[in-house]
Amino acid sequence: MAAATALRATLLLGLWCALAGAAPADMPVGIAAAALGAWASLLMVPPVRARIRPGALATLLLQLPAKALGAGIAVARVALDPRRRPNPRTIAWTPRLPPGRARDAFLAYASLLPGTLPAGVGPDGTVLVHALDGEADVAAAMTMEEALFARAFGLDV
Amino acid sequence: MSLLADAFTVICVVAGVGFFAAGTAGLLRFPDTGSRLHALTKADHLGLGLIVLGLLPRAEALGGAFRLLAIWALVLLASAATGPLLARVAQRRDPSA
Repeated sequence: MAAATALRATLLLGLWCALAGAAPADMPVGIAAAALGAWASLLMVPPVRARIRPGALATLLLQLPAKALGAGIAVARVALDPRRRPNPRTIAWTPRLPPGRARDAFLAYASLLPGTLPAGVGPDGTVLVHALDGEADVAAAMTMEEALFARAFGLDV
Repeated sequence: MSLLADAFTVICVVAGVGFFAAGTAGLLRFPDTGSRLHALTKADHLGLGLIVLGLLPRAEALGGAFRLLAIWALVLLASAATGPLLARVAQRRDPSA
């Protein structure tokens, strides 16, 4: 618990320094803000024992810019071409991750990926996913991304 | 070298503005809330990312570059948290969408 508190406070202080600068006169405010932030984050998201696989996590993070580029280009093409209209569809997808913070974290990550936007809980434990292109196999893409995400964080699926 | 850096900045920022324009066009043209959220979360993220990338060579010091990257990361984080929440509310209000 103490290690998690120290890690979060250090990361938040680093973010404070990146945003506001590291002038010595400002540091008391930065340290107080980082401590308050660490306390609030521990209250809302208690630490869990993650088995992070650095290689898989690096692959996940390095692929994100390329996926963001693909997602942006796909949306821009539909938005700017007057002959094309989006063909949206909401599908029910069955995740393998159990309900909880790991699944919530994956769904937040999935909202940044091309063509998918989680839109709440569906019937029978499914998750509703809004797809911009209704023809695409969104469920298969979500399952593949979930496996990559789970491998990076050492989660059981 | 300066000319190359200037050209890189101009190309990235112009491309970024183009994606912001595409996101705004999607916001106006797309038929439902979910699709509009796609426009805001995907095209605008890329636009902001390209503008940040273009401005990195102009940063005065390492601190300035970190600040730009932190702004982009915070926008991504906020968007990843709020996008699905807004989509969930829209889905509840109009389950047929």
